[in-house]
Amino acid sequence: MRMVTVRLPDEATLERAMEELGLPEEEVDTGYGLVAIDPGRSLYGLRVTEAAARRMDRREGSGPYSDPPIEPYGPPR
Amino acid sequence: MRVLIQLRPSPDVVAAVADPGLTATAADVAGGLPGVVLDPSFTPVAVPRPVPPPDGDPLSLRRPVRFSFAAEDASVLVRGEISDDEASVRLALLPALRADVTGVFADPVIETTITCGGDPPVGDWHDVERLLAVEELAGAGLDGAGVPLAVLDTGINAAHVARHLGRDFTLDAGRSWNPAGVTGKPGAFEVGHGTMCAFDTLIAAPRATLIDVPVLLSQRPGGSAVDGLLSDAVAAFAHLRAVLEGQPEESRALVISNSWGSFSPRWDFPVGHPGNYSDNPAHPFNLIVASLDDAGADVLFAAGNCGRECRDGRCAFPDRPIVGANSHSRVLSVGGVDTGGERVGYSSQGPGRLDERKPDLCAYTHFSGSRAFGDDQPDSGTSAACPVAAGLVAAVRTRWPASRLSPAQLRTLLRRTAADRSTVGFDHDYGYGVVDTRGVLAALRRMSEA
Repeated sequence: MRMVTVRLPDEATLERAMEELGLPEEEVDTGYGLVAIDPGRSLYGLRVTEAAARRMDRREGSGPYSDPPIEPYGPPR
Repeated sequence: MRVLIQLRPSPDVVAAVADPGLTATAADVAGGLPGVVLDPSFTPVAVPRPVPPPDGDPLSLRRPVRFSFAAEDASVLVRGEISDDEASVRLALLPALRADVTGVFADPVIETTITCGGDPPVGDWHDVERLLAVEELAGAGLDGAGVPLAVLDTGINAAHVARHLGRDFTLDAGRSWNPAGVTGKPGAFEVGHGTMCAFDTLIAAPRATLIDVPVLLSQRPGGSAVDGLLSDAVAAFAHLRAVLEGQPEESRALVISNSWGSFSPRWDFPVGHPGNYSDNPAHPFNLIVASLDDAGADVLFAAGNCGRECRDGRCAFPDRPIVGANSHSRVLSVGGVDTGGERVGYSSQGPGRLDERKPDLCAYTHFSGSRAFGDDQPDSGTSAACPVAAGLVAAVRTRWPASRLSPAQLRTLLRRTAADRSTVGFDHDYGYGVVDTRGVLAALRRMSEA
């Protein structure tokens, strides 16, 4: 899965995001849903499959973005 | 950066330095070196010149030499400090600007002991209470009462925290949040890293309201039992924006403590790729961090445990290990010192990748506190330093909501009042210095009276 972003000035729903990005439901992490990244700028995020992310690579400014593992900073090993 | 500067001043100055009966100061030898703060406490030292015999083989590396302190041969060392921000430029330009400068050398700290991972605790959490002047904070009405403090980590075990604090505390289950797939209840997670962090927030802010966000327990594909994915943190921050905006604007406050980060570039796009996280302020997580700051949240991140002296074995960035949001200009990046005030050897050094001036400051770590990892194990890592600092921030917020003191203003206040550990202000080991509660209280008093 990869993270991508979408601008939704009007209706911020996962369905609207999928429609905007041309993505079928099976290529989207619906459990993760649509997350408000900066609602003041109408910017939202979602997780999509690698294949969908590769297609989106051609859309300017929407990703895909890395989604690296994050770990506790301690105790030092 | 501390440096030793070698100069070849006029022979009469060299003679004065070499003569134990005379006293020459650093200013006599090197006054006016641009960009260098000379250390007046360091008596200049004459350095002899190796002189080969006149009839020896000039190309031989083994020919005997004698060392000459003659005024026309010897040079002189002085000690000083150059700002970390411009060290490379100064090092290159000094010999060009001043013909008498013949060399500039690092002057590293030499110590017999430095606290590393695996070392026993240095002091306990009551020492941290004393160092943070918690009684004075409480006396000023700054105890965190009613201030929401989110601990984004592995979940909190409230019973363990209360048992080791020796008292109850407030945990807000209603405003806590689990990533999808995490089924535990707020305050009822296994004792571990998140429990340690929760305990440490309550040292300076004993009456803060904790919000449990076990973001590192994500079970999403690609995650594991002991880590999460950055996308889970994006979702957690989106939840916390709703928590913040659910408060009346005039009393809005939310402190977010993050003792985690990314250890390796392996799962990241390369630097320069538009999808990169470590160096890219346009990554969605870095954007949401900035938007929370805009909305009035105080966001703190641990600087990391990749300090040069004893780095964590997981550290895989070849340099500049304070990456991504941990190095964001809109967060407070917290390094670690022990209760003796010395930087722990694992505390990551700057410059940061998004903002070079990282860490911002240091707070206490490596003390006996929560016992989350065993009775003889310290609360350690910059993982402990971050919630200790977050507690201080929450304490301030008791009477200073974001409408009265913005997150940016509070960061500036904490940096400005930190106890400087160098002579030139900011450095990449300690940032602006060690958090100083009394300095904070004095500044707040001045602001109240203004």
